Amino acid sequence: MSLLLVLIPLIASAVLLLTRPAGARAIALAATVANLGLTIFMLSGFNPSTPGYVHEFDVPWIAEAGIHFHLGLDGISMLMVILSNLLSPLIVYSSFGKSYENEARYYGLITMMVGALNGVFMAIDGLAFYVFYELALIPIYFICAIWGGENRIRITLKFFIYTFIGSLFMLVAMLYVYLKTPGEHTFNWMQLMQTPLTAEASWWVMLGFFLAFAVKMPVFPFHTWQPDTYVSAPTGGTMLLSGIMLKMGVYGAIRWMIPLADESLHWWQPIFIGLAVTGIVYASIIAVKQSDLKRLIAYSSIAHVGLIAAGLLAWNQTGVQGAMIQMLSHGINVVGLFLVVDIIEKRIGSRSLSEMGGIAKSAPVFATLFMIIMLGAVAVPLTNGFPGEFLLLNGVWNYSNWAGAIAGLTIIFGAVYMLRAYGLAMFGPANEASSRFAPLQSNELLVLGAIAVLVIVLGFFPQAVLSLTEPAVKQLIEQPHF
Amino acid sequence: MKALIVLFITGILALFAGLGGNRRMINFVVIFGTIAALGLTLLDLAVGDTTGLNEQFSLMIHFDRNALAFSATTLATLLLLLGLSTWGLRGLHATLGDNYGLLLFSACGALIMYSFTNVVMLFLGIEILSIPLYVLAGSRRDDLASNEAALKYFLMGSFATGILLFGIALLYGGSGSFDVKEISMAISDGRHSAGMLHTGILLVMVGLGFKVSAAPFHFWAPDVYTGSPNLVTAFMATIVKTAGFAAFFFLFQKGFLGAIGFWSVPLAALAALTMTLANVTAIWQQNFKRMMAYSSISHAGYLLLGILAADSDGSGGAILLYTFTYSIATICAFAIYMVVSEPNNDGGFSAFNGLSKKEPVLAAVMAIAMLSLAGIPPTAGFFGKYFLFAEATEKYPWLVVLAVINSAISIYYYFKIIIAMYFSREENAYTVERSGIVRWVALAGVAVIALLTIFPGEIYKLIQ
Repeated sequence: MSLLLVLIPLIASAVLLLTRPAGARAIALAATVANLGLTIFMLSGFNPSTPGYVHEFDVPWIAEAGIHFHLGLDGISMLMVILSNLLSPLIVYSSFGKSYENEARYYGLITMMVGALNGVFMAIDGLAFYVFYELALIPIYFICAIWGGENRIRITLKFFIYTFIGSLFMLVAMLYVYLKTPGEHTFNWMQLMQTPLTAEASWWVMLGFFLAFAVKMPVFPFHTWQPDTYVSAPTGGTMLLSGIMLKMGVYGAIRWMIPLADESLHWWQPIFIGLAVTGIVYASIIAVKQSDLKRLIAYSSIAHVGLIAAGLLAWNQTGVQGAMIQMLSHGINVVGLFLVVDIIEKRIGSRSLSEMGGIAKSAPVFATLFMIIMLGAVAVPLTNGFPGEFLLLNGVWNYSNWAGAIAGLTIIFGAVYMLRAYGLAMFGPANEASSRFAPLQSNELLVLGAIAVLVIVLGFFPQAVLSLTEPAVKQLIEQPHF
Repeated sequence: MKALIVLFITGILALFAGLGGNRRMINFVVIFGTIAALGLTLLDLAVGDTTGLNEQFSLMIHFDRNALAFSATTLATLLLLLGLSTWGLRGLHATLGDNYGLLLFSACGALIMYSFTNVVMLFLGIEILSIPLYVLAGSRRDDLASNEAALKYFLMGSFATGILLFGIALLYGGSGSFDVKEISMAISDGRHSAGMLHTGILLVMVGLGFKVSAAPFHFWAPDVYTGSPNLVTAFMATIVKTAGFAAFFFLFQKGFLGAIGFWSVPLAALAALTMTLANVTAIWQQNFKRMMAYSSISHAGYLLLGILAADSDGSGGAILLYTFTYSIATICAFAIYMVVSEPNNDGGFSAFNGLSKKEPVLAAVMAIAMLSLAGIPPTAGFFGKYFLFAEATEKYPWLVVLAVINSAISIYYYFKIIIAMYFSREENAYTVERSGIVRWVALAGVAVIALLTIFPGEIYKLIQ
């Protein structure tokens, strides 16, 4: 079952890339919807409190070296799989309104990416995790570099090299732990986690993992690739990057970085949390000053992810649980926001806030949906952003009151830049372009509507998500790791 | 052993078939002979027959499992290369048989370099490998660059040979034997003259360093690679490199392991220098073959990690897998480079502009080859790198970190090709020569890369 989640999109991708059929978008949508159905089916039979994994799939890959192709799900993986398979049909469907040159290639790369992401979230073998982690990078690189905007070649190469260097350090760190496993070396997650490291070794291993995940999320000061890449990528690529791909970093930190190298967690914690909190304030201040709406959302994403990072690094139940639910919420919100930018850009030909204004008058439905998603991003109570941010701040506060207080600024700043952007775009005097704002197309309406519904539903019923991950998170935090 | 004999006879047959001048006939003889040699090698590997004809050669040559494994990958590479040759040598008439003959004789040298048990055989193997190449490098007689390449390769090669021979003489003086096993025993039980032996080891290291183009003995490579005909460059970058490293590894593992504390220090410095220098220089290259030359030097740097880990069990398998993945990806790259650049006489990166629209299949093969050379998962090149790094991590963590940084640098220049093919909006009016055989070679190469991705362990475990 877990294998299918990887295979369906990868096969779809192979078909799309090799045969370049006419109905490319339909194939991509069918594959992602099939995955969503499969996810719902797996969720229906899922009992979070069962220890261990469900839907395990384990075959030896390189038996001589203890490397297995090993997939499986616990509560944490389940949530991540929900995230990626819930968002991927929305992302695919939202691209329908656009005509891309060489469409089959575009959708083929997106589905390849979805398969790799599912693999990342389900891998229980270190090397399989690493291979999927890198496999996800190749399609997104091509998506951004082929269909991207200005300066796309330079920007995407920077993005690729940056993230690749980071993950190579992760590979070395993982290799080191692997070589310390007793007896026949193995990449099995459980064994890697239980391998004791010396304080010094653990210090290096933690650093290696952190470099990989900090670049991916990104955490200040490793974020410099992110705004340019988000802005220059085509909308579908930006959604994949911000909605799902950056969660690979967060998930990696929860699943791999801290459990494997927890001996040095206390040493690193103040530094990592300090960086994360600095990033929140830094990115928020820049976001307030942005005039390009897409860039503004890119910076707001750095701020939000900074809070997720700080919460998970506090490594207490509230913090990690907050990170879990916020990953889902942020994914939903940010995909919605980037779609909003795309809709506006398509109609008025600009992303600059100064050229918008008065859109609410000509497109009230769009304005309402944008409002709901925006409120979710600001974390107003009863939207999906609220429980996550609340838990995250609570977790950081429990670790250090100072860090919690500074991180709390994110709520104020978030309200400032989002409301400012919304006000400038939607209200005020309409100009020539915005007064002729065309109504939403059916696919745009459906995707935005679905996202708005999710924003509200998750805001009302966060417990459904929290209880899904609670036993697994609890086990991970309380487990003696050596 | 059987493979060596078959290959040698095929070479002679190619020479005679060349007299007749029937192109089809020559191609058939050469390719069939190589397939037969490969088949015999695989058969021996499968049966585990390693005694064979070994006694007949006074124990100077011994085709054990390791030698058979390297022979198999080399013959597979050679087969792809010969497939390319049927297209690449299409302009030749009178000298076609000679060209094939020389390629096959050179490959015979490689097989000897896998199976030597005596340093004299190693020396002969290297010479059999090199001398045909001196001729082949200059086989485009009316091309100044080709002549320059031949002369440079010959001068540098003979210089390296001299150093190697001097080293071998000192080894004999230090240990009292040419036999690898005897040398090893002399080292381990202390019956040796340390000064002479260590100097000998160093000189051998320098001599082999020239052959595998490890910095600072690499400076011949870029000019020779650029000037030689494309096929010969592909041969040098793959089979010569594999043979050089296998011989390097076997000699140091079977012969000099007792003195690893002595030679590992200069070798580690050599590895660090080689990969850093090559990658940093490759960034600035504008010519595809020159870039591939520096790329091949950088891969030599990573492969030296495997020799440094000679005392660990998996290092031979790691070198085998690495050289094989590297060779296949390089052949794929050269196959596409040949059809793109030769008809248009342009060796720059811009020759690839817009290839993804003109020839999507070839562009995809090239992209996969570049990803594999850069070692990006899930391509086979990653598994090659993975095993090498895994072997070296425990003893040389700093070198592995340096290698990792260098791998990241290498993305920059490998991706220049991908960028030109897929993202560049500057078009060129170049025509790409359509050739069935090149397409087949490229697809076969990708198939091998895919197989190595799914079953990397099958190659790795050939050498225990």
